[in-house]
Amino acid sequence: MADLLPPLGTAQIDGKTKVDEKVDYSNLPCPVPYEELHREAIMSLKADNFEGLRFDFSKGLNQKFSLSHSVMMGPTEVPSQSPDTTIKIPTAHYEFGANYFDPKLMLIGRLMTDGRLNARVKADLTDRLVLKANGQLSNEPHMSHAMFNFDYMGSDYRAQLQLGNSALIGATYIQSVTPRLSLGGEVFWAGVPRKSGIGYAARYDTDKMVATAQVASTGTIAMNYVQKISEKVSLATDFAYNYLSRDVVASVGYDYILRQSRVRGKIDSNGVASALLEERLSMGLNFLLSAELDHKKKDYKFGFGLTVG
Amino acid sequence: MAAKPSLKNKGRGKGPKGSSSSTSSSSSSKYELVKEWTNWSLKKAKVATQYGFIPLIIIIGMKSDPKPHLFQLLSPV
Repeated sequence: MADLLPPLGTAQIDGKTKVDEKVDYSNLPCPVPYEELHREAIMSLKADNFEGLRFDFSKGLNQKFSLSHSVMMGPTEVPSQSPDTTIKIPTAHYEFGANYFDPKLMLIGRLMTDGRLNARVKADLTDRLVLKANGQLSNEPHMSHAMFNFDYMGSDYRAQLQLGNSALIGATYIQSVTPRLSLGGEVFWAGVPRKSGIGYAARYDTDKMVATAQVASTGTIAMNYVQKISEKVSLATDFAYNYLSRDVVASVGYDYILRQSRVRGKIDSNGVASALLEERLSMGLNFLLSAELDHKKKDYKFGFGLTVG
Repeated sequence: MAAKPSLKNKGRGKGPKGSSSSTSSSSSSKYELVKEWTNWSLKKAKVATQYGFIPLIIIIGMKSDPKPHLFQLLSPV
């Protein structure tokens, strides 16, 4: 995306930010996709902590095609009636995956031993229009989902149309207003629980920080702020409030990207502290350690894993 | 409860008179047919995707350049 920045980008990197710099409004950069609006905050604050053992082996057959085998053993949570108790059932499964990466076509498929297929397709129909499809198909009736997205990328805007099974239609639009600020909105209509919603989002980013805010008619208000302290360290904070169900969560997290390892951790206002360490033991061999302590529910999860290839 | 017997009569009256509303029922049955066909085709598409997606990726991958060998596909190394 760096080559899409306007030529004035180099002037901004100079220490002083002048307020009266001339902004070329006809040559704004293309904004971040709407669903990735808060991607920097998600990297620190929503790291994928897991419980149990995880082993991933990925074998490349050529530049474009690779196979993967993963084994996961550990307790999985089952939703329970009362919010105080958590029911965990120990499970173990093996997942076979095949990936095909092409500049124009990307296919990812993962098949589990219980027959669940997780499929993702991304195809460039033209150089501006992208089709993405995502499906989780299972043998149990009424447990399969599929979603199709058509993304159109304009010069300084992006528009997306979403179609999902059980009559779900959504559309999002995001536009760059200045080189640093982009505003967007979304509309969706769901057939099965008959509801529709509208939401707005804004994102302001500079070299050192990113701030985003989202409001939706489903009741969520979310704001987050990420500050990049240096190349190796970034800190993030997030505040989410649901005005319909009166839930509020605030969290603070960090992300250290070091030479041999990457540590991400966060602490929550729900009394949850979690961390994830990914350490590169040698070329192609990564060791993972994950911990999540939920002091309110007294639920402590620890996991370790190895990723090869 | 005077309304009740009249409702019952209406319910029984519709039986023999069903032939006069055949045009509306055929258009509604066309809609039902379309719905049934789309349901049937979606079910078949779901089964086809579940069985065929991973083999499709493997076939496309084995045809891409440089062509990998079948041995590389099956061996664990």
